[in-house]
Amino acid sequence: MSNEVVVKVRGVTKRFGDRVIFENISLDVHKSEVVAIIGPSGVGKSTFIRCINHLHSFDEGTIDVQGFRLVGGQSPSKAELQALHNSVGMVFQTFNLFPHLTVLDNIVLAPMQVKKQARQQAIDRAMHLLAMVGLQNRANTFPKRLSGGEQQRVAICRALAMEPEIMLFDEPTSMLDPELVGDVLEFIQRLARTGMTMVLVTHEMMFAKEVADTVVVMADHGIAEMGPAREVLESPRTERARSFLRRVLNPVGSPREPNLVANGGDDR
Amino acid sequence: MALGRMSRIRPLSTVSTVFIEVVRSIPVLVILFLVYYSLGQIGIKLTGMAAAIVGLGAFYATLYAEVFRAGILGVDNGQREAAIALGLSHRDVLRKIILPEAFFSILPNATNQLSNLIKDTSLVFTIGVADLMFQAQSASAVTFEPMDMFLLAGVIYFLFYLILSKVLARWELNVQRSRS
Amino acid sequence: MHVVILYLGVLLQGGMRDVELTVVSSILALMLGALGAIGRLYGGRIIGGAIYWYVELIRGLPPILQLFVLFFGLSQFGIDLNPLSAAIIWLVAYGAGYAVEVFRAGIMDVAEGQHEAATALGLDRKITMRKIIIPQAFVAMLPNLTTLIVLQLKNTTLLYLIGYADMMYQARLGADATAQPGPLYVVVAIEYLVLSAIISRIGSSMEKRAAAYR
Repeated sequence: MSNEVVVKVRGVTKRFGDRVIFENISLDVHKSEVVAIIGPSGVGKSTFIRCINHLHSFDEGTIDVQGFRLVGGQSPSKAELQALHNSVGMVFQTFNLFPHLTVLDNIVLAPMQVKKQARQQAIDRAMHLLAMVGLQNRANTFPKRLSGGEQQRVAICRALAMEPEIMLFDEPTSMLDPELVGDVLEFIQRLARTGMTMVLVTHEMMFAKEVADTVVVMADHGIAEMGPAREVLESPRTERARSFLRRVLNPVGSPREPNLVANGGDDR
Repeated sequence: MALGRMSRIRPLSTVSTVFIEVVRSIPVLVILFLVYYSLGQIGIKLTGMAAAIVGLGAFYATLYAEVFRAGILGVDNGQREAAIALGLSHRDVLRKIILPEAFFSILPNATNQLSNLIKDTSLVFTIGVADLMFQAQSASAVTFEPMDMFLLAGVIYFLFYLILSKVLARWELNVQRSRS
Repeated sequence: MHVVILYLGVLLQGGMRDVELTVVSSILALMLGALGAIGRLYGGRIIGGAIYWYVELIRGLPPILQLFVLFFGLSQFGIDLNPLSAAIIWLVAYGAGYAVEVFRAGIMDVAEGQHEAATALGLDRKITMRKIIIPQAFVAMLPNLTTLIVLQLKNTTLLYLIGYADMMYQARLGADATAQPGPLYVVVAIEYLVLSAIISRIGSSMEKRAAAYR
């Protein structure tokens, strides 16, 4: 991790109509830093990381990504968005592979169309990426024939093929069967070691503790707590972060804290 | 008919399937002619009105059979399994669980077919029934200004259509809202 | 039965004219329908609204009324169309109205995640449409396209009313001449049955091939 800030979020607020999704969020992401965003569902984590690459617009505040500025309430030009999407890759909860294209065509499409790479060059790079996740022999298969874990690894390869500076992950493992989660997390961890800057929304607390440099707890329309991963996860300072972590790490409750069972179902 | 097609009793399901598939693929006008002229020739003489009712009735019965079938098949299999697991009888599963669930997915298609039926009544003038279209045609034969009459008929038909599609669509929306 | 043998030739000839008309009008209707769907979805309020009401009119008015307006109604204003051109214009106008809805539903059927993924990869709207949305929409709407073409075929039965010499027209002539409508209309029914079965068969084999990835 260096001191260079590559994503600088200042006072960002997002509303849907009258409903406030989150407000006044500020956050720095440094080069090669891994930031994990955790928090109860429905708190706007997915919406927030979609603001970073402008899949969602936001109403107030600014986000600087790679020296390029998004301003709340303003829509950037097509060329600006193009540059943004070139340097920020994204991986989705539901994989969102293009079902009508083979694994290989999923990966080479954007490099060829956007970066105007020659097909052979794009294929070489794609095969290299697929080899990293042990899927080189599935290159000519359609996505629906792959397991969820394999699809998600292909989706990560597809994003990496654009050689992004920053990677966004939106709950990359929450749609996977438990036994398939490991392979995907392992790949993300390897990626982190190469120095890739990453922002990821996740429910995997153990993974966050191990891989993330910084953990952000979102609750009640904002950031409840933020700091070094181990500190936040092991000894949270705020009550909101504490109560969230207690419920996630100890979902059934323990005999020493009998009232946890009664609160267990409350997600907010 | 929809139940017949899905029945486990083989002959019943075969007959229903064939009848539905055959009648569905023949244009309405040809069916009207078959009922009115062809049946007439073998001794079953129907008035234009009766032929219209029988012809349109048979045709739309098959269309509705398919609408119902799609609706019933559209009910999540989990519902069926849950009902059976609770020990409901086959008949109760259909009556208490499947049909009420299916009803709401059937609604839009059913109203759609109803507006098609209204439009197809415009065809019965060809077998001599004095419907709206017939009146418009014969009036225009007198006045030599067909457009005015067509416009009038058009406005009436279109109002029918709008009322049916918009009012019913709103009603469907309300039903759905009240359920979710 | 000999009426059937006597008239089979002309009936088949009439049938061929129905087939030709169905093919030509379907192709034109689909092309116009695709443009119309794009206009409806991305054309803004005025173009989108105009197309919406056009589709509603086509769907809301009885087919026969539309045909009569074109053929008889317009002649009141000195626009005399011959049966063939009235038939083609109507079939295309009618088919296009339905095709707009088929294409629109197909495009909307493509999951939102596909748009997001394409945008996140930096694909622009044109490439996204061409490479991602339309190929998937096409597969989703194939069954409805088949239905649309069968509908076009069925609509040709109305054309005898404006004097277009198709199968139905020949059957009527025969029925009037021999006073034996029974068997003739049965033949017409069988011809339509066979033709729509062929269209459905072609449609479902295309569906199978196109949906290989599913």
